[in-house]
Amino acid sequence: MEGDVVLWIVVATALAFDFTNGFHDTANAVATSISTRALSPRLAVGLAAILNFAGAFVSLEVAATIASGIVDAELVTPAIVFAGLVGAIAWNLATWYFGLPSSSSHALIGGVVGSAFVAEGSTAVFGDGIVDKVIVPALVAPLLAFVVGGLSILVVYRIVGRQHPGPVARGFRLGQIVSGSLLALSHGTNDAQKTMGVIFLALVANGTLTADADVPTWVVVSAATAIALGTYVGGWRIIRTMGTRIIKMDPAQGFAAQGVGATVIMAASHVGFPLSTTHTISGAIMGTGAAKRVSAVRWGVAGNIVVAWVLTLPAAAAVGGITYAVVALLGTEVVGPVVVAVALIAGLAVAGGRRLVAGRTLTAEG
Amino acid sequence: MVSFAVDTHLLWDVIWVSFAAGLGISVLFSLVILGGARAADSRRSGHAGAAAGWAALAGGAFLLFAAGVALGVQELATK
Repeated sequence: MEGDVVLWIVVATALAFDFTNGFHDTANAVATSISTRALSPRLAVGLAAILNFAGAFVSLEVAATIASGIVDAELVTPAIVFAGLVGAIAWNLATWYFGLPSSSSHALIGGVVGSAFVAEGSTAVFGDGIVDKVIVPALVAPLLAFVVGGLSILVVYRIVGRQHPGPVARGFRLGQIVSGSLLALSHGTNDAQKTMGVIFLALVANGTLTADADVPTWVVVSAATAIALGTYVGGWRIIRTMGTRIIKMDPAQGFAAQGVGATVIMAASHVGFPLSTTHTISGAIMGTGAAKRVSAVRWGVAGNIVVAWVLTLPAAAAVGGITYAVVALLGTEVVGPVVVAVALIAGLAVAGGRRLVAGRTLTAEG
Repeated sequence: MVSFAVDTHLLWDVIWVSFAAGLGISVLFSLVILGGARAADSRRSGHAGAAAGWAALAGGAFLLFAAGVALGVQELATK
């Protein structure tokens, strides 16, 4: 009975993280389409939400277990997962507030690393896993996308540069619908599965399922629904940063950034080196801007984004670690997770409601 | 013990596949737009043969672009 209470708290927290993941990462798929007027804001987030929902069903290979190879899986308990999820949610909300795109996956890994470190000590954390699966991809993704995005827009301008601007702009806006859709589908497939993996692990740890069982349908549907709802609500502050504050882009740049972002993510996944959607698309946007004119990129905004990327792992780890310490102080069986969950819900109800309304106001302001 | 060994072979694969796919998709869609725009111009100026050639370029590039998109979706479904 006590185990069931903690299990359902972990499931609810995982779905809350999934919602913030969709909410936070909407910008990856829609920011450039909205900025170049390829799609209206509401249509863009609606399409992205549907494709994120569909993406969750495209592949049910829940291989990406939470922080696999980064923390010792045998030491992970529901309380550690819960505290890690709180760390990830906190970082997602903080970066959303400041309008900074950052990796939700890295936030989740950071949260779990922090809570596992506080719970079990340094032996629970594999440093080489952090280097291989977080730090190296975080360096490769934006640099690679920056260079490929820059070269792509130069080639695009070379090919269509002498044509009438009207038909060219209309054509690239149509192309953006395809490239943005691919990004949204890819995001739903990758990120909803992380939540499914978290819930599946909690069910196995609780003895509700065996490790070789299929993922229950309700897990798939609830994870897909949470990420789609989050996407539909839309993190407008980040959409504005990615769509207009890094560079002022034309439809060709928007298509090149999205097309390169989508293809680099899929190509890297194909060779077994998954990259962050956020890092890749942000790097591609900067690359398409810098190739046209270096001063076209607002490097101050770009610098803030890079600082957020650097801070993601340690900041989420700090919140995850502190949360675990509080949970452990109150009791990891039931009381700790319940008290922390109730406190978080109360805090979000008071503060988050007002912030969401403010975010929606940004939409109306365009 | 922290190991900083990075799989350089894998990294090289990521780089060249990303360059090929990213540049490829941008070039193909640009050719669709170029072919479409030039075909329309040629039709307006009464050059039916040139219009057909540009339209063929646009069509061929579009088919390759669509194949690339389908490959991407297949990659998502089978990973």
